[in-house]
Amino acid sequence: MTKTTLLGTAALVLLGLGGVASAAEPIRIGVVTPLSGTYAPIGQQVRWGLELATKEVNAAGGILGRQVELLFEDEEANPAVATQKAEKLFQVNKVDFLTGTVNSGSTLAVGQLAERNGRLIATTVSFSDAITTDKCSPNVFRVNARAGQQSAALAEWLAKDKPKAKVYYLGPDYEMGRSTVAAFKEAAEKTGAQSTGEVFAPLGSKDYSQYFGQLRAARPSVLYTSTAGNDTVRLLTQMSEYGLLRNLTIVGASGTVTAQNIGAIGKAADGFVTGVGYSAELATPENKAFVAAFRKAYDTAPDLYGADSYGLIGFFKAAVEKAGSTDTDTLRKAMEGLSWSTPQGTKTMRAGDHQAIQDMYAVRIAADGGGNRFDVVGTVPGDAAIGPDQCTRF
Amino acid sequence: MPEATLRSLSDPGRAGPASRLSRLAPVHWLALAFLAAALGFAAVAWATGNGFYLRLATEALIFAGLAMSVDLLLGYTGLLSLGQALYFGLGAYVSALVLRDVAPSFWLAMAAALLAGGVAGLIGGVIANRVKGVYFALITFGLAQVAAKSVYNTRALGASDGLIGIPQVSIGFGPFSLDTADPLSFFLLVLGLTVAAYAGLAYLMDAPFGRTLAAIRANEKRVPFLGFNAWRYKLAVYVLAACVAALAGALYPMLRGFVSPELMFFETSGNAVITVIVGGVGTLVGPVVGSLLLTALRSVVGSWTEHHLIVVGVIFMLSVIFLRKGLVGALLARLGRRSEQGRATP
Repeated sequence: MTKTTLLGTAALVLLGLGGVASAAEPIRIGVVTPLSGTYAPIGQQVRWGLELATKEVNAAGGILGRQVELLFEDEEANPAVATQKAEKLFQVNKVDFLTGTVNSGSTLAVGQLAERNGRLIATTVSFSDAITTDKCSPNVFRVNARAGQQSAALAEWLAKDKPKAKVYYLGPDYEMGRSTVAAFKEAAEKTGAQSTGEVFAPLGSKDYSQYFGQLRAARPSVLYTSTAGNDTVRLLTQMSEYGLLRNLTIVGASGTVTAQNIGAIGKAADGFVTGVGYSAELATPENKAFVAAFRKAYDTAPDLYGADSYGLIGFFKAAVEKAGSTDTDTLRKAMEGLSWSTPQGTKTMRAGDHQAIQDMYAVRIAADGGGNRFDVVGTVPGDAAIGPDQCTRF
Repeated sequence: MPEATLRSLSDPGRAGPASRLSRLAPVHWLALAFLAAALGFAAVAWATGNGFYLRLATEALIFAGLAMSVDLLLGYTGLLSLGQALYFGLGAYVSALVLRDVAPSFWLAMAAALLAGGVAGLIGGVIANRVKGVYFALITFGLAQVAAKSVYNTRALGASDGLIGIPQVSIGFGPFSLDTADPLSFFLLVLGLTVAAYAGLAYLMDAPFGRTLAAIRANEKRVPFLGFNAWRYKLAVYVLAACVAALAGALYPMLRGFVSPELMFFETSGNAVITVIVGGVGTLVGPVVGSLLLTALRSVVGSWTEHHLIVVGVIFMLSVIFLRKGLVGALLARLGRRSEQGRATP
């Protein structure tokens, strides 16, 4: 192996003198994303989005005349595994850029590793606000919308569609559940909503009816929830059985109702509204072309993660072409303030905290019979949802 | 008579009195061979400038420390702990907090982790040792889950995101110092600590303390008839194992610069048990060999296919079925047979 590396280096040096080496050598992008375990469906979308975009870029001649190569490693949704895999990609495979981390802890830990290795990374999935606020890093970019943008978008829509709504909050009783509720509550109160009460149910609750008395006594017109997975299934179906869904608008976090649990919720999901950065139903020509290509390649519709990951390759391509190289410092400069087009519309990378600014959408679920659709019922301009730059490190 | 029974129980690889050189039990020879191989590996990795593999090996040694602590309980005392990651994670968090918020001092971090591990081990040990067998395993599992969930939901400890920004430190040894950022120095340091832990624990397991543990493993009910309080010994070894795990954990943030609640999850505890069983139960060197082997395997196979968990699972099952005493156990059995043959025909 050492011998071949030596030979390879010698060949590179020789070619490099002629200025041909960089044209022949592909640009390598490392992808550390969950390929096994609970988060594998998210990792699958990330993989499909990146592969589709890469195929298109390579067919059109690559970036700066160089082909793009993706190297996948399994994150296992565990930061301890993610850092080890990322280090391998940085030091052994010599990747030029890295992406794919899903678990927010993984993104933070891999971001720190990128700093120590002098490389750049981007996340397309992690939505913990910390990544681009108090724990921001000069080497980490986020092309997807963070939690704050999602709740700001939902609050904006709520203020317009149901001004001065009386809101009740029901969240799962753990740190993320509580902080998601707190963030939305703050955003909603700022836009004029009235809070009528809140309750936190243990994760994995079987029976939500014990909270229905409090809920009814508070007489809300809107219920906000940040439950996820099977908890949402039980909450919404039980509310439907008790007839509580009448005259009540249910809104929630973007992970509350997803493609994974919507089938089990069935009709009770009808009318649920959330704030999110993407819906496959977006009626722009760019998105229609993207959805058609995605369906053709993988026989399923893209979700938020697939779309954000697809858009990342466009971001990387635009930045490298602007910088003229993949050198870390010039590339970082090129990425800061960059605007690029994605199926979700134009995104802009804010220079101050490396958070992408994008239009946000209020999406309503239409569960009428067989097919479920995520209809776009409102658009919130990027500037209204982004919030202030809270990163002080750079 | 009991003395002799204890002696033969304590060390399956013990060859009996012979020349001065072969007094060293075969298992220690294996440990020495392993040390030589590790130094050879370090030299090659250093010469080729391969920082990644050095750091991967360092991580394997750190998890070997955790596996050794499981082996103390499982292999020597017959107690199956499914929650040893609790003490590993505790050591990691204490070390991370000390390094980040108090002072970037290696010795202070290790001392704090040792203290925390000892205190937590005492509390956990008193709770877990009230019961035996499968209930002991369940209680250790439960304790670790409670701790992991508490950390996962505590904002001051970074909650689900964990803590980043743990500084790389320079370690002073009187006039000398080495840097954890340098892959070779840190690998050698961790290797030194692993060897020291092995030597110390192997000595202790050969001493009357270890023999009593072996007696507890063999037949706990008869131990009081020999005049020993089994509960006290079980508590002592539990605290010892907690301290070893905490010290190993304390090294983790120095290597990777972060801690996350996943370090306390069952996955970490379960991997340690698998490591011990694949490497060789009750040998102390087995966990080290197992950890290096499994870490290397995961890294290579993981880049190859996303079905790496199946590969590790199959290896685990094969080793349980065909190598009942693990890799090291199988090697020792071979060495033992050969040395017996050698003695038969002088």
